[in-house]
Amino acid sequence: MTWKDGEEERAESRRRLSERLYQTRFDLVRTWKIYRRSLLAIVGLFMVLSVCTIAIFADDIAVEHPGRDIQDTRDVWSIDYEPQRKEPFSEECDMREQKVSLTELRRWDENGTLALSPTRIAEDSSFYQDTLVVTDYRALVDRQGYPLPLDLLYLEPSNNSYFWISDELMENNSVNQITITYMFDNEEMHHWWLPDGWDVCIFGTNEEGQDMFSKILYGSRVSLQIGFTVATLTVIIGTIIGSISGYFGGRVDEVIMRITDIFFAVPGLILALAFVAALQAVEDFTLPLWFALLIPIGFLAVFVRSQIDTTLLPKSIAPNSSSDSSYVFVRAILIFGIFFVFLALGPWEYIFEIGESRTWRLAATIFALCFIGFILVLDRHLIDMIPIKGIGMRAKDALDWRNPYRYLTFRTIMIFLAATIIFLWSGNDEGNITVIENFDRLWKIQIALVFTGWPGYARLIRGQVLYVKEMTFVEAARSVGAPSGRIMFRHILPNAWAPLLVAFTLDIGGTILSASGLSFIGLGAEPGAAEWGKLVSDGRAFFPQDNWLVFYPGMAILVTTLGFNLLGDGLRDVVDPKNRR
Amino acid sequence: MKTSEFIVRRILLLIPVMIGVTVFTFMIAQIIPSNPAAILCGERCGLVDPVTGKTMLELQIERLGLDKPVTEQFTIYLQNLLEGDWGESTSYNRPTAEVVRDAAPVTLEMTLFALLIAYPIGITLGILSAVKQDQTFDQISRFLAIAFVSLPIFWLAMMLQLYLGTGSDVGGICDPIFGTEGGCLPIYGRHDAALTYPDRTSALCDTAISGIACYPSWYPSGGTGFHLVDSWFVTDEALDSIHPDYASNSLLFNDTLSHLILPSLTLGIASAGSLLRYMRASLLEVMNEDYVRTARAKGLSESRVIIVHACRNALIPILTILGFSIGGAIGGAVLTESIFAFYGMGNVAVDAIINLDYSVLMGVTLITAVIFLLSNLVVDILYGVVDPRVRLE
Repeated sequence: MTWKDGEEERAESRRRLSERLYQTRFDLVRTWKIYRRSLLAIVGLFMVLSVCTIAIFADDIAVEHPGRDIQDTRDVWSIDYEPQRKEPFSEECDMREQKVSLTELRRWDENGTLALSPTRIAEDSSFYQDTLVVTDYRALVDRQGYPLPLDLLYLEPSNNSYFWISDELMENNSVNQITITYMFDNEEMHHWWLPDGWDVCIFGTNEEGQDMFSKILYGSRVSLQIGFTVATLTVIIGTIIGSISGYFGGRVDEVIMRITDIFFAVPGLILALAFVAALQAVEDFTLPLWFALLIPIGFLAVFVRSQIDTTLLPKSIAPNSSSDSSYVFVRAILIFGIFFVFLALGPWEYIFEIGESRTWRLAATIFALCFIGFILVLDRHLIDMIPIKGIGMRAKDALDWRNPYRYLTFRTIMIFLAATIIFLWSGNDEGNITVIENFDRLWKIQIALVFTGWPGYARLIRGQVLYVKEMTFVEAARSVGAPSGRIMFRHILPNAWAPLLVAFTLDIGGTILSASGLSFIGLGAEPGAAEWGKLVSDGRAFFPQDNWLVFYPGMAILVTTLGFNLLGDGLRDVVDPKNRR
Repeated sequence: MKTSEFIVRRILLLIPVMIGVTVFTFMIAQIIPSNPAAILCGERCGLVDPVTGKTMLELQIERLGLDKPVTEQFTIYLQNLLEGDWGESTSYNRPTAEVVRDAAPVTLEMTLFALLIAYPIGITLGILSAVKQDQTFDQISRFLAIAFVSLPIFWLAMMLQLYLGTGSDVGGICDPIFGTEGGCLPIYGRHDAALTYPDRTSALCDTAISGIACYPSWYPSGGTGFHLVDSWFVTDEALDSIHPDYASNSLLFNDTLSHLILPSLTLGIASAGSLLRYMRASLLEVMNEDYVRTARAKGLSESRVIIVHACRNALIPILTILGFSIGGAIGGAVLTESIFAFYGMGNVAVDAIINLDYSVLMGVTLITAVIFLLSNLVVDILYGVVDPRVRLE
């Protein structure tokens, strides 16, 4: 049958596709109708969306880089700036102190001094200073800190960035250095999105003089990243383990459930603590190369198994078959032979002295895989006695954009591309595959949280799988001989995802809480990092007095967690109407 | 199945889990990058013992058994555990078992008191919320339940310190609702800083030094560690010598209680949130049962139907939550303790990580697991007693 002959079938498949899309749209609209009934759910959705928006546009909303003066070299303030903790909405955020040495001043010019802006570094690495517009001056003290009368100083009327120091002060030999405290029009602290008169540090500043608001904004990135990463990884691991446990049952199930029992026996946070401690010495998260080889080994095992199932069994049932077992044996040897060729890929580069060329290794891998595929196709044709022809025709079909099967090929290509990209991105040294470079403390708590989180999902999914497994459509799929993997991914999991989605959403909130807790006790983020838990813990040093340093980061955690929890609760109402009453 | 048989079965089921936990803690101790032998001998590691001709480091390694294969180390570890030898803490320079024994009651007292606060709040709000289903009150309490669960515990603790804690001298705002004589609640420590509490750690109760017996002879020497209970049994002669302001059992008790309220309230609020939700769901489920309809049909008053017929049955599933909430509260205690300066298991665990004291970390993990499993065991047995259907499984 050629491509032209299948026109009717393609029309049918197109019709089904459009029906499916229509159904999906209908389902979504219905879901939204149920969801919006609950005001709390809407509030939660709004909170989550705002936090996500803030995280994405933090650069535009914030007034300064969160790590200013600590890590950021692009934006360095001048040294004479005395950092001060300032209350939220305090006008003093626009205040600076400047030390002026009167002896040096005499040498240069008469008696004027520039109100200096922070020293900054321009794009071309040259230093420059913005001109400040001084609006008021507040205090004048001498070197010993004794106040001097303010009228010893006046502002240049034509240029608001010059102080004029009176002769009386200049001629006073006992005063050689003064500190001027003045208000200025603080361009840096201005939020473009706030109305006039609100242009002050709205959440206060910390002991480094850094704007808390900016730090909290950037903190949302860290928290959301941790929340999503950990929740996703736990869902994946938990789903795999839970579905294995539920689907296969028996002894496997028993062992896995006893392991989860152990995890449940220790409170999550203490388990995470212990695990973070165990990870302390780990610098890079790498996997040995043999671990990566497990994947092709696994694929091959599954493949061989299904080959034997599909080719050997029916023929042993049919007595007149011309197949002989020695042929199967030859096939097995062939497949494993090729596999060992693949295994030998590691040493190849040393044999041919091409060094650490990853491109070469990649090319060799692809070549070996293609070779295996080619042999297998050939093999199949030999068994079924199908003539090998029409490859050119098939290639032409594959390029025909109307051909729905083309997208299957497309999917294969995408998988290949993804594998390539992962392979290229992973720093590959000394036979290891680096999964996570720079395995810092944030990564450690993420791994620890994944490690402590998966048993919950495993149990959830196991319960779902046990429930769905008994349904008629699974029975039907099994009776027509669908393999386990197909039943699992095509029949069981799509029907078990709903509670998973709810748990996932709730888990993001929970993870943000735990991660900030770990950061709070000093195991998570590095000192000075813009992470909410760390900000609270940094603020503790000044706690009852300067409580804004604690209050606002904590509120940020609360709002984010609350948002995700409300969202999850709303989704639960949609997914499980029985629960709603 | 008889009740006794059921209990024995539940206990036997615990054994594999317990072994699993020990394997687990042992594995973590193996991974932790610390050399306890080097920490123990410190600067003297290089010195050579004249008798054996080995360095101090080698002797320590031999003494701790670190040169043996891992499997053998594990069997020795297990054997020692059963004999009550939990290893030696490198940072406290004391046996780990003692460190854990001193720390566990602190956390447990706080946790249990927290549940004492959480349960009335959670259950009452849950019942009211279910009765007034979908009304404004229900909406508000549902929101509160989610909000309570979403609160970062450490932040809540500090906010409570700020608004209910000792006010004037630290510059916070204090509302004397829970007034002790200062008008506000104390925010640090288990006791007034001026008071030396007569317990195992204080020199006062060491009979050899002070000659005073802090507790009556039938009482555990040095007290149980649960100060709320201990304070009622302190002998008069010990009371005379601790502090003139706390010269009676009730004053000592009040001091302990006032210091316990804020930490427990912090933990309790988080637990109350989840309790509220479970109670509401459980009661709503029960309200649809036939026996509730029958009770209504008999013409009983609505309050009697809810309190006598519905609540009694709705409370049974809540029992299961009890076991889990103890675990959750112990986890939360890690954060609360560091804020309120309680030297319980949480603080000890954090210190152990910072000092890489793997023996203490193992001990704390193990003891929390034991507490959690035992509380779940008790809950399971209670459940089996209250609801005989469970035993039939």
